[in-house]
Amino acid sequence: MMSSLLGCKNLSVQFYGQNQPVLKNITLQFHPGETVLIVGPSGCGKSTLLAVLAGIIPEHQEAKMKGEVTRKNRVGILFQDPDTQFCMQHVDDEIAFSLENKRVPKEEMTAKIKELLKIVGLEVELDTRIDALSGGMKQRLALACVLAMEPEVLFLDEPTAQLDPVSRREIFAVLKQISERKKQTLIMVEHVLDGCIEWADRIILLNKEGKVMGDADPNSALCEFESVIEEAGIWRPELYPYDWDEIINDSYHPLSKQLKERYRQRKANKVQVERSTLLEVQNLSVSYESKEILHNLNFRFGKGEWISIIGKNGSGKSSLLKVLAKLKRRNKGNILFKELELKNWKESQLYQHIGFVFQNPEWQFITQTVYEETAFSGEQQKWHKEMIETKTLALLEEVGLLQHKDVNPFNLSFGQKRRLSVATMLLLNQDILFLDEPTFGQDKRTTEKLLKMLKNRQEQGTTIVMATHDMNLVDQYSDRVLFFKEGALAFDGHPFLLFSNPQQLNETAIIPPLHYAYIEAVKEELPNGGQSVLSVSY
Amino acid sequence: MEGNQSYLSHINPSVKLIAHLAVMFLLMMISEPGKTLLIWTAFLFLGMIGGGWTIKYLLKVMPPYFVFFVLTFWMLAAFGKGETEIWQWAWFRITAESASNGLTIATRMLAFVTIGLLFTSTTCIHPFMMSLVHQLKVPPKWAYGFMAGFRCIPLFQKELAHLKEAHRIRGCRHNGSWQTFKRYAVPLLTNAVRKSERMALAMEVRGFTGDRDRSYYKKTIVTKKDYYYASLLVGSTVFILIF
Repeated sequence: MMSSLLGCKNLSVQFYGQNQPVLKNITLQFHPGETVLIVGPSGCGKSTLLAVLAGIIPEHQEAKMKGEVTRKNRVGILFQDPDTQFCMQHVDDEIAFSLENKRVPKEEMTAKIKELLKIVGLEVELDTRIDALSGGMKQRLALACVLAMEPEVLFLDEPTAQLDPVSRREIFAVLKQISERKKQTLIMVEHVLDGCIEWADRIILLNKEGKVMGDADPNSALCEFESVIEEAGIWRPELYPYDWDEIINDSYHPLSKQLKERYRQRKANKVQVERSTLLEVQNLSVSYESKEILHNLNFRFGKGEWISIIGKNGSGKSSLLKVLAKLKRRNKGNILFKELELKNWKESQLYQHIGFVFQNPEWQFITQTVYEETAFSGEQQKWHKEMIETKTLALLEEVGLLQHKDVNPFNLSFGQKRRLSVATMLLLNQDILFLDEPTFGQDKRTTEKLLKMLKNRQEQGTTIVMATHDMNLVDQYSDRVLFFKEGALAFDGHPFLLFSNPQQLNETAIIPPLHYAYIEAVKEELPNGGQSVLSVSY
Repeated sequence: MEGNQSYLSHINPSVKLIAHLAVMFLLMMISEPGKTLLIWTAFLFLGMIGGGWTIKYLLKVMPPYFVFFVLTFWMLAAFGKGETEIWQWAWFRITAESASNGLTIATRMLAFVTIGLLFTSTTCIHPFMMSLVHQLKVPPKWAYGFMAGFRCIPLFQKELAHLKEAHRIRGCRHNGSWQTFKRYAVPLLTNAVRKSERMALAMEVRGFTGDRDRSYYKKTIVTKKDYYYASLLVGSTVFILIF
């Protein structure tokens, strides 16, 4: 006997053509008004669970199901990819599409559309083109479209996985408001806990086999299931369960000590090493879709340096990387690679020295197996067969893909694809490696593996140039950071100097890592005593 | 299919479509180059007066069709049959009949392009689809599906550009072979299938069923001016055809 609450009893789900069920014997109940986070390692079936509860399975997708499920009639689902949730050209038409489906009379629509846009905090003209919106704005629009359905339960399938950290914060803030103000039931799958765990009522942990490992309130879940969370590669919240004011006021708090220690380490590491020049840029201008977006840049990259490139979405990071790798034409200026103008390099020669890892690893795959994919550049160089084999196998070992060497690249998991795409750029021992947001949407474990791999290469003398939004990564790994703002190079130097100078970060979309914010807050809290707190701990 | 703010962009798209198709059909029955030329120039002027076309715009879009025009004309004129010989050199033999024939076909092609362009450049996709639903009784399933598909075109263009760059850095030369085609087609198609599935799912969970039982935010109607426009076009074409 089941109650009328949303939930499932002894639920097992298996997809056709697979010999293992994705979900095993799950019993859960959800109360009205609750905010529930479902977390687990990739491939654990968390999205499948959401699909079953929302009714996508079996209504729109086929799967073998056992057990009972109680659903709600009116549900809304927000998916992760902002681009594939729309079918119209303009903002108002898109929201109207939801209203039309509900047969809302035409006269009421404009007012409703305006109200929904206000709820999700999207203040644009009604006839704005959807293509012109940023990823975060698109996701807010998608949310408005879902809210237009007036759902009893709102399901969210990794709603921020494809957004940068600032947009992620904004989406979480909107969701929090909605959950509080409208007593909306929210069921959300996420792989990042920061920003949503603070206001969630409950966390459900799934393991790799598709079983419920834990079901508790956030605070106790973090303590009780620490190892499960660690193993699942979920990004732990940096601050939660502690409170910001609490750690600022208590300098003996364990987290305070940790943050101070981290700050001290970074400060000690800020020395710049003299390096020989590998790439030099003079008066470079870069454009995107025939509009100049970066003007008059001058900098040089040293051999073996780790350089992070940061800036808002659309600030020209990707375009710059492509120009430096001769994949895109520059507007004007000079680029010297190994003291020779880039224009005078032959492509076949140049790409023995330059590697480029794209945002989407799938774009790079050319062959049928992981092995061939990795060996490809060696074959292009007409290396000796045995040399190709030993080098390829060694490289696959290094990136941890040796046991998958005969698999088709497209069948790898998301994280494995990323590692393979990097591996294909390492066989020739390239001098410089450009990476366009390589850790985007990756879980903690994959990210750590990837960074270790790159660090290893850097120590062998490879220059790493990485466009990223992840400030912890910038802070922890790079020797240098280039920050682009309004078409110009606003900062070029050690990340410590950027993050520890809050004036520089004002009015930018950059959120410095926690330890910098902490030191800054402590200083403000105790205008005179701040210095002494710092000096005591150092 | 962006639409502009010209006079013609306010004509009901379905009526406009039918009128344009009717003129195209009538054009196929005209076999005199002079009359075809007249209709073509009439449409050029119509585009400039009512369709928001400028000389600059025409110079940008028309050149490829002019090349095609010359080629078509030359092919039909120099290799066609005929009695009255005008000019002959080597295996080229132009006769009065073949020249006239070539000119008709080539001008007709140009006129077709112009009439089609006048439709697409003054029609926005959304009102067009709405008009198909309201005036021509096309099921909403098709109309909304088409609009969703239309959104994908720029996404695919971007993706292809990325693919090309990614392959270039790996030292893959694209030489137009079957291999190259496969290398681009496989990832593009797999992504297309994935994207379209996601889009369809997103539309369905937002309550889209595809049937006619829905309300409409924007409704297109047929007014007097739409009838005037259609009768003007078809009427004058018939007039030219007869006299």
